[in-house]
Amino acid sequence: MSETTTRRQFIDRTCRVVGLTALGGAAALLARRTSAHAVFQVDPLKCTACDLCRTSCVLSLSAVKAVNDFSKCGYCRLCPAFMDVTSAPDESGTPSGKVCPQDALKRRVVGREDPDDPNNNYYEYTVDEARCNGCGKCVKACKPPMGNGSLRLEIRYDRCVECNQCGILIACPSTAIVRVLTPGLSPAGAHGGESHA
Amino acid sequence: MERYTRIAIVVGPGMPAEFRRSLSGIALGARDAIYALGDGEVRVFEASGKFARAWKAPEQAFCLDVAPDGRVAVGSLGRVDLYSNTGVRMGGFAAGTRDKPAEVTAMRFRGDEVLVADAGARVIRRYDARGTERGVIGAQAKTGGFMLPNGSLDFDLDPSGIVYATDTGRHRITSWTLDGTMVAAFGKFGMAKPEDFVGCCNPVNVAVAPDGSIVTAEKVAARVKVFGKDRTLLAVIGPEHFDPMCRHIHIAVDSTGRIVAADPERRTIAVFGRS
Repeated sequence: MSETTTRRQFIDRTCRVVGLTALGGAAALLARRTSAHAVFQVDPLKCTACDLCRTSCVLSLSAVKAVNDFSKCGYCRLCPAFMDVTSAPDESGTPSGKVCPQDALKRRVVGREDPDDPNNNYYEYTVDEARCNGCGKCVKACKPPMGNGSLRLEIRYDRCVECNQCGILIACPSTAIVRVLTPGLSPAGAHGGESHA
Repeated sequence: MERYTRIAIVVGPGMPAEFRRSLSGIALGARDAIYALGDGEVRVFEASGKFARAWKAPEQAFCLDVAPDGRVAVGSLGRVDLYSNTGVRMGGFAAGTRDKPAEVTAMRFRGDEVLVADAGARVIRRYDARGTERGVIGAQAKTGGFMLPNGSLDFDLDPSGIVYATDTGRHRITSWTLDGTMVAAFGKFGMAKPEDFVGCCNPVNVAVAPDGSIVTAEKVAARVKVFGKDRTLLAVIGPEHFDPMCRHIHIAVDSTGRIVAADPERRTIAVFGRS
């Protein structure tokens, strides 16, 4: 066997390998793009919690919900997003009113509770999504410098019905509704979300 | 009520030695010189406001203090760096534990010790100059430390060595002996009365005046308050003097009782005096 033939065979094999690799890569990319899914989401840096998420969604109970980022939360006793700090204080000096009109923001003591002095307790705040209507009152009250900014509004994918023309996107005065690509997200409606009119 | 007015602006936008990116702390040195930390530097201003000198410091440093002998300590995450008065680095030490570096948000020299506020552990740590821990203040609280929803702890010392610290989640200033025994506390939450502390967590900064008064700074209603020896409210400064988005107003009181206040949002240092 000559040296020229060997080189040709080598080039031939190399081309085959490169070609197959490119084909495989293209197939993988295509598969990924097929499974990726563009969805609407709220940009927390732009959101002003203006209340239009509540009124502009086609669902009777908006697909936008408040969520709490525990890594930012101060676990405050006097949480300005939970209690209306301007409301009349009760006998212990704690404001008696709540911020959430739906009573959707819930709290529980973290660790062992000190019943004698509530100042010694830390509280974990969670959102009851079945009640939350996305009004954003808690989000607004949690914004710095009053709070730590741990609460934000988020479009819940298991509720969003993905209208071609998102009503909230159209209404949002601060262009905070953005389109994001979420690879592998299940199609809307698969979770039994409410159908839109 | 006493009345304080703004006497001077030491540094601000457009002025010599202005801070362009950050202003994260102030301390007072000999002859009431103002040491300010920001833009990755320590900048020194004379009491008159004239810029004197500057030197490089860690970019992410949070706070500083000046010893009576002129040494300067600069605190950053898990670290305290020591400098001479002209900015020559004299060493430093690691603060906190191996697993959890101290979130150093305030420091004070006291004799041969450096007291370091560790907001992560919610205590004040006492170190000697070589970085050996000598004790902890605040750990004896019922919660094992200060309540700090805002993730920051500030403190100051009076001449007798009593430590006054911001217990922001409890809306109080608590005072402690150096061995960690709690002495007293004052302040409570309230949105209406000026002597009360507003919001989720206040006061955020504290300073002790030479006459024993306590000066506090608050966020939300960005303001500075002066409490007398009996802890009654004597004066309120602001909020018209500060940016409403201030999360901190770094404060110090000079030997004549003037209040030096640094607004990190406007990157301005102003001096207030009784009028």
